[in-house]
Amino acid sequence: MEMHDHQEQNVTWREVALVYLKIGTIGFGGGYAVLDLIHCELVEKQHWLTEQGYLEMLSLAQMAPGALTVNILSGIAFRLGGMKTMLIATTALILPSFFVILLLAGLFFTWQHNPILIGAMAGLTAGVVGLMLAVVWKLARRLPQRWYYYASGAVAFLLSFFSGVNPIWLVLLGGMSGAAKLFAQKAYINKNAQ
Amino acid sequence: MGILWLLAFSFLKIGFFGFGGGFAMIPLMHDLAVVQNQWLTNSQFSTAIALGQVTPGPVAISATFIGYKVAGIMGALVSTLAIFLPSLAVMFLLDKFYLKIQNSQITQSIMHGMLPIMVGLILSVSISLGKPAVHSIWQSVLIIVVMVLALKKRLNYGFLILGSMVTGILFTLYS
Repeated sequence: MEMHDHQEQNVTWREVALVYLKIGTIGFGGGYAVLDLIHCELVEKQHWLTEQGYLEMLSLAQMAPGALTVNILSGIAFRLGGMKTMLIATTALILPSFFVILLLAGLFFTWQHNPILIGAMAGLTAGVVGLMLAVVWKLARRLPQRWYYYASGAVAFLLSFFSGVNPIWLVLLGGMSGAAKLFAQKAYINKNAQ
Repeated sequence: MGILWLLAFSFLKIGFFGFGGGFAMIPLMHDLAVVQNQWLTNSQFSTAIALGQVTPGPVAISATFIGYKVAGIMGALVSTLAIFLPSLAVMFLLDKFYLKIQNSQITQSIMHGMLPIMVGLILSVSISLGKPAVHSIWQSVLIIVVMVLALKKRLNYGFLILGSMVTGILFTLYS
């Protein structure tokens, strides 16, 4: 419960930024691998938040758009020290990967016609496609098991693949259809209750 | 100047609509960088995603790569800030209104409505990326191996991409 009070923890923004810099440097691979690291650093080592506080933050982070790890860490930083800590610590988190990817991008665009890099690209494309298919499978299993959700996923796939509709419109439509379905169900229940 | 505004605006939008985790941003980034603007080819885009996996930090960092290709260091900086800012803004709002939002039916329904869309979009992009680039049997086998390892063994995504690169180099040089 103490996690609801920003002043309860006596942590300075420097301490938070330092731990976040560490996570940003060794948190390799993204997603659930990094979640384990975050739990170990912030809950077990630093005791900055309780197990319950962590789970609460995880559920918030899943509601926000974007990378789960950035969401959960920025949320925790905000609770530890407000807006200033949130901004500085999240910058510290992203900084290492920012510099590494900048360096790699520079190297890549200089050497992209080198036969070794062409080979690496043939391999990594297959790897990326494999990972994305794995994510498709994982997300699909999180869907509620109703024909409605499978149908809307299939429609989104067909529209995006064959007609090149802007995907942001499809996401908006999906959200709106979810809300509309809820209202329709409520109206139906009310009607039957009368 | 115009190109930096375009990058900032486009990546802010992507940051706001990438519901369902970092991978949900991939279709949105692909539409921006490959389909609408032809800033990157499909294989350069795959490289951006792969580098996002082998570097520490989240996959959204691929925005840095795209921004760099379009407008150098400034482009990289603007794109990076723009793609992460919405996460911070939304987490701030969620923290403020947590008790109202938590378990609210309407939030649940909207999320459930968006999730299948993301599944469809990611599937569509993975085919768009694979189709022009996968010509050999070893690549098809590699796709299946990576997929199975990511699902069954919960192997680190970064290692899987590194392994794919090494496999690619070996097959290209010795075949």
